[in-house]
Amino acid sequence: MAIGTRVAIAGVGYSTVGRNTGLSSEELTIQATNAALEDSGLTVHDIDGITSVGTEPLQDGWMLGIEPLKWWASGMMVPAFAFSAAQAIAAVAAGFCHTVLALRVIKQQPSAQAMAAGTAARDNPMVALQLGGALGDRQWLAPFGAGSPTQWAGLLTRRHMEEFGTTEEQFGHHIIAQRYHASLNDDAIFRDPLTMDEYLASRYVSKPLRILDCDYPVDSGAAVIFTTEDRARDLHQPVVLVEASAITSIRDLNFEILEDMARTAPAEAARQLWSRTDLKPTDVDTAHLYDGFSVITFQWLEALGFCPPGQAGPFVEAGNTRLGGSLPVNTDGGACNVGRRHGANFCIEATRQLRGQCGERQVDGAEVSVFTTAVGPFAAAFLLTKG
Amino acid sequence: MSTPDAPRPPMPVPNELTQFFWDGVARHELMIQRCQTCGHYIHYPKTICRFCQSRDLAGERVSGRATLYTWTIATQPFHPFFVDRVPYTIATVELAEQPRLMFLSQIVDCPEEDLSAGMPLEVVFEELSPELTLPFFRPARG
Repeated sequence: MAIGTRVAIAGVGYSTVGRNTGLSSEELTIQATNAALEDSGLTVHDIDGITSVGTEPLQDGWMLGIEPLKWWASGMMVPAFAFSAAQAIAAVAAGFCHTVLALRVIKQQPSAQAMAAGTAARDNPMVALQLGGALGDRQWLAPFGAGSPTQWAGLLTRRHMEEFGTTEEQFGHHIIAQRYHASLNDDAIFRDPLTMDEYLASRYVSKPLRILDCDYPVDSGAAVIFTTEDRARDLHQPVVLVEASAITSIRDLNFEILEDMARTAPAEAARQLWSRTDLKPTDVDTAHLYDGFSVITFQWLEALGFCPPGQAGPFVEAGNTRLGGSLPVNTDGGACNVGRRHGANFCIEATRQLRGQCGERQVDGAEVSVFTTAVGPFAAAFLLTKG
Repeated sequence: MSTPDAPRPPMPVPNELTQFFWDGVARHELMIQRCQTCGHYIHYPKTICRFCQSRDLAGERVSGRATLYTWTIATQPFHPFFVDRVPYTIATVELAEQPRLMFLSQIVDCPEEDLSAGMPLEVVFEELSPELTLPFFRPARG
């Protein structure tokens, strides 16, 4: 039930990913692009559009030798990689171009320690600005000792616990399942099994949010090539189709004063997604749900209808989201284990599951996957099918 | 500019839209922008009413009564000024004047175990440093 030309995923790839790699944004872009091109069997001359979060597509296109560009889009305050994906899918479906390189290139953020010590400001003009004075909407946050994403995540987590009775142990079950999946993924950064005692002993960043509930900041380049179904069928990879897409914003970017922190944008994105397909939540074989913080995955489980509203805690605790459960979630290990690839990893892992390329962590017979990005004021969700 | 030993707080930088709020804080009054046409409160302040599109907006003093919507205990500082001030309780409160009129602040004078969603609160003006006073909230006393 896709709108316009049917869109497929032709190639996926990553740069070197890690802590303080020393690699420039340009290098991360080039590595990720080359990996996705190699994966697809396409060359750079087959690309006629670039969408990106974290780089400037016009500069990328010129640098890579892609001309003419027939579509480009870039965003910063957006639902991460999902913005690149949505703009790419829309452009191919509408016929502006036929093959889009969708990028998310992200450089590791300054540590909390560097922020607190004031040393982060030496290297980062944005941080210096923040520490110098609270301008614009930050005047409502920074003087109050707020403004870190971990702190709004703490607010969202506490609200979920207060409204639904969700427990810290239930978040622990989620983190332990994700780590188990990561143990089966050569590409994950954290692969050692985790126990509940270890989860509960990990330090709070903004209670009830623990350090293990947070994605892991890294340098990362990720690329996904979207093209038409017809072109994808001429390539050597198994075909993965975009069945339905949704991107939404329910308010401006102020997470801290959201009117309904238990639901937020994923609820709206999910409504849009399911209205654009005949498939149902029960048709989904694998789910790849944004986990910048644990509570976000819980919100997506509920928003997409995999469990009743407010019941993500018991759903996770019962083992449903673990490999072998009724709905394996984040089979790559999620961003808390593979690093903050900012949504791109969910698209790439979903694609690999539908191609049957996930090795030990492959979900047998996977034919329908959902991937999502972000929470709070903005969100996006995509349904992919085996072609 | 010299750098004093004690870190400065992250000082708010008011603009023409928000000056009334910080002027109110200086008087120990909590002021929220209100549409003079339809009566809705709007926070953060804007140049147009998102409910009725009126441009007739002004700051008005509110009661300072609120209920606790959610909170988090900040245990890790992200700014030099707060290094010696953790832990503290960041909270989203719902001001009494309008459903879902949310305000981000801190909770004071309340042990962590006594916090619960829906608890009644009242504004209290706290001097964080000689240069910065902020509207915080504490359990309502009557």
